[in-house]
Amino acid sequence: MMADAQQRTSVPFPGDETLRQTGYRRLTPDNTRIFEGSFSLLHCHVEGGGLYRGVRAVLMFPISHPDRYISLRYTDERDQDQEIGVIEDLLVFPEAVRQAVRESLVRQYYERVIHRIHSIECNYGLLFFDVTTGQGRERFVMQWRHDRAEDYGETGKVLLDSLDNRYIIPDVEKLPAADRRVFVNYIYW
Amino acid sequence: MPGTERHTEENLLPNSFGFRYSTNPHVEEEKWERRRLCRSFMKLFAKGAPAQEPARPQILVGSIPASVLASAQAVGLSGENCLFSIRSDMDLRGRPCEVWLVVGHDRMAAFTADRLEVRVLSGPFEWRKASKVRNYQTVGSMFLQLRLDEMYVDVVRFSNGFRESFGRAVVQLQRLLKGEPLNPDALKAPSETRCNVCGLPLPGLRASCPRCAKRRGIFSRTLTLMQPYWLSIFALLSMMLLGVMLDLIPPQLTRYLVDHVLKPESADMLAGNSNGGFQGFLERMVLGSASWTRGDRMGILVVILACLVAASAIRQGVNIFIGRVSSLIGTRITKELRERLHRHLLHLSVDYYNRHSAGNLMSRVLYDVDYFQGFVHQVAHGFLLNLLLVLGIGTVLFFMNTRLAVVVLLPIPFVMVGTTFFWRHIYPRYYRLWDSQSKMAQLLTGFLQGIRLVKAFSQEERERARFSSSAGYMQQARRSVEMSMATFNPIMGFVFGLGGLLIWWAGGEKVLRGLSGEEGGITLGTLMAFFGYMGMFYGPISQLTMFSNWVTGFLSAGQRVFEVLDSSQMLPEEPRPVRLSAMKGAIELRNVTFGYDPYHPILKNVSLTIEPGRFVGIVGKSGSGKTTLVNVICRFYDVQQGSVLLDGVDVRKIATEDLHRHIGLVLQEPFLFRASIAENIAYGRPDAPPSAIMDAAKAANAHDFIARRPNGYDMKLGENGSGLSGGERQRISIARALLCDPRILILDEATSSVDTESELEIQKALMNLCKGRTTLAIAHRLSTLKNADRIFVMDDGRIVEEGTHEELLAREGIYSKLVRIQTELSRLEGGHDG
Ligand SMILES: Nc1ncnc2c1ncn2[C@@H]1O[C@H](COP(=O)(O)OP(=O)(O)OP(=O)(O)O)[C@@H](O)[C@H]1O
Ligand SMILES: [Mg+2]
Repeated sequence: MMADAQQRTSVPFPGDETLRQTGYRRLTPDNTRIFEGSFSLLHCHVEGGGLYRGVRAVLMFPISHPDRYISLRYTDERDQDQEIGVIEDLLVFPEAVRQAVRESLVRQYYERVIHRIHSIECNYGLLFFDVTTGQGRERFVMQWRHDRAEDYGETGKVLLDSLDNRYIIPDVEKLPAADRRVFVNYIYW
Repeated sequence: MPGTERHTEENLLPNSFGFRYSTNPHVEEEKWERRRLCRSFMKLFAKGAPAQEPARPQILVGSIPASVLASAQAVGLSGENCLFSIRSDMDLRGRPCEVWLVVGHDRMAAFTADRLEVRVLSGPFEWRKASKVRNYQTVGSMFLQLRLDEMYVDVVRFSNGFRESFGRAVVQLQRLLKGEPLNPDALKAPSETRCNVCGLPLPGLRASCPRCAKRRGIFSRTLTLMQPYWLSIFALLSMMLLGVMLDLIPPQLTRYLVDHVLKPESADMLAGNSNGGFQGFLERMVLGSASWTRGDRMGILVVILACLVAASAIRQGVNIFIGRVSSLIGTRITKELRERLHRHLLHLSVDYYNRHSAGNLMSRVLYDVDYFQGFVHQVAHGFLLNLLLVLGIGTVLFFMNTRLAVVVLLPIPFVMVGTTFFWRHIYPRYYRLWDSQSKMAQLLTGFLQGIRLVKAFSQEERERARFSSSAGYMQQARRSVEMSMATFNPIMGFVFGLGGLLIWWAGGEKVLRGLSGEEGGITLGTLMAFFGYMGMFYGPISQLTMFSNWVTGFLSAGQRVFEVLDSSQMLPEEPRPVRLSAMKGAIELRNVTFGYDPYHPILKNVSLTIEPGRFVGIVGKSGSGKTTLVNVICRFYDVQQGSVLLDGVDVRKIATEDLHRHIGLVLQEPFLFRASIAENIAYGRPDAPPSAIMDAAKAANAHDFIARRPNGYDMKLGENGSGLSGGERQRISIARALLCDPRILILDEATSSVDTESELEIQKALMNLCKGRTTLAIAHRLSTLKNADRIFVMDDGRIVEEGTHEELLAREGIYSKLVRIQTELSRLEGGHDG
């Protein structure tokens, strides 16, 4: 699928230019100034668009392109979420901007990545996990249900614990063999 | 203070609050809500706490570390002017640490308390100056934000586990901002997301705790399923016992045959030294086999053979009985279970279906239930029988010869090891096999339903690839199971075979010893009997090993079946519902807030009143919440705040069948069943006479196109009404709603695929029919709502305008803008035509 998508972007398609005219606003260093303003929140000035304050960055392809296609958004006076535009490639911006946008992304996403699975116990229709995540050894409880463990990309899984916290296994195949066996014993779908 | 320890304990739960407030009467600038607070807190104090000294803050619930308190004082949040505090589990960058948000009368600040030093994490904020406060959901965590200086500022961040406590806090902060008093009870209410006894997260809001409710295992629940059949099962078990005993007999007979009958006659017998007649025969019988003549032996041989035949015949008779009865029970249980599943599925809320794919649920009802028949089979002649055989034969073997019996048992440790290996390494492969089957079913349903889309985008090649990868997954899953089984089974077979060879070795030696009259010898017949029993012994043992195989499948199937049966995603039912035999049709929404995800509201504080018999229109952008509004009126979902009232009664209190009988609903995507047109129209009233069906169809402007079909109203429709155009389907679903003569008619974009002329016709018919009934019409084409008594304009989950067509036009708001755009559009279209 992913290779598919990349192929499609690389081959120029005659209609793309037409689509682009009505497409999303591209934010580039030429038309956009991004800086940290009051309350150390992201501010963004777009040529012909004005100044936006309290801006948040959101990934449009968090799994397949985790460092590209970043949408900058703000909440308008009617409490509605609005898009300012999309940064296609953060690398073309100066370092300070990259830093600020990354900082905003850190606030947008909170996912614990599971590196090891020490044990899974099944009781009362619940799975009790004992894992090591990026934050150290942790335990959590999730319901043993198909909708609580979703696919993450092609080979990964997102586990939603009973309180809706997100635990990610980016690639199940890359878990240590013993851990993987324990895992697919229960999360086999 | 008596309650303190308990409070510290509560503190360990993530949803703990710390309250502080002062009752110092001398503080001059005490605000009015503070006085209210005192009064409400007084009651609490009266219960547990001793009389408090003035000016000393009292901790009501939870506690803040002293160091944090000191820091709070440093930024002007001293004990006297604190309202409450909440704990969070991370800083703003998402690093785990203990964070306390301390809210004072006019300022708030967040502090980290993990490290040696206490730091101010954010603030202090002059929160009274904020225009709004909200909880903002991001991916995996949330922020409490204040709207200061026209932008939302992050005050504190918390993981989803803390949503409940911060959700309550924000409600209180909003009240305070509006000038309403703090409601401490709302903050302190017991958690609805965790068990208040053991702290385990609950499967749903206010659901019962699975640990404290002691949910039983899959096996014991299956046994409960069999309870009604205990008599038959008792008969089965006794038959089985009989069968096992019958199985034990033949080797003993053959042993007798070999040792006493089929052996060389002694010398005097050969010499013919015997008495004739029956008398003599009896005498020889008493004397022992040494005195038997050939004739005697032939006779005994025949008798023993006859016994063997009888044993075998009775055994097979028992088998027939067991097979028939177990199939009777098994099929009944599976039928009942299927019905139970289906019944349960019917009662599950719409929300459940949003979360589970149809293919997945289908395979549970179709295939997984079959495992329960297997369970009965196992009880009847699988596991139990084998176990009894093993025990019975084992005992007999030990009686016959202890040492030889020990040899027979030698391979058993290997069987154990094999079984364990099976559980560890082969067992999980079955799960994947099932998963691949269900995934393929899902793929196929999707593909078959979307076949036109596939063709329209000429994506046959991709579909082929997708199917091929799914088939590959299935092949790989099955291969993995079968390959491992193909290795596992012969190895186990070899181990058992080895056992047989051991018996030849040990038993043969003993027979030789017996022949030469030494101590510890056995007869050839005993050895033969050993072999006979061994054939019956290893069989069941390997069956018992295979039993784990079956258990695996059964457990996973049982998990999936009980997962559905246990899902409590049902709307709570009122124990004594209000019956509404007649309904006037008044609809009222009072401050309704609702989101499909409770923490992400779609309808935001919606209030509206519709008087009975009115024709009301709802307009708004796509995604503004119109269908959602309909969903809560029909009570497909329960609202999170506020209430929906029909004729002044909360929909949660109305008996479901009454509610749905009085509401006629035409959905945005009409759904038709695989049945005739007439049956589809009469779906809500199966006994409707043909004349009524035709009248309804006429009113929905469907009669004429139906009349033109060769089979008229008897025309069979395909899956989801294939064979009809989109507009025709809509008209049939309108007829279906009209036939039930509902007091409230809801049309969600019901005429969007109908041409303008038919729409006008339907409008006219509806105008007549709508007299005396409340009609709620959602439409994008505003011209359809010109004559509505009242029009509500929705935007982003709120009612932003309301009035008649003229009033709204005069108002120059969203509605008039929409009308302008549409007239513009139709002018463009008209210009095109002309
Ligand atoms: N089952 C659901 N689960 C989660 N979110 C949903 C669900 N159904 C709708 N939504 C969301 O709720 C919002 C309102 O949807 P709704 O169907 O009420 O819109 P609508 O006004 O009827 O739009 P339309 O005119 O397109 O029919 C949308 O943002 C939608 O994405
Ligand atoms: Mg809709």
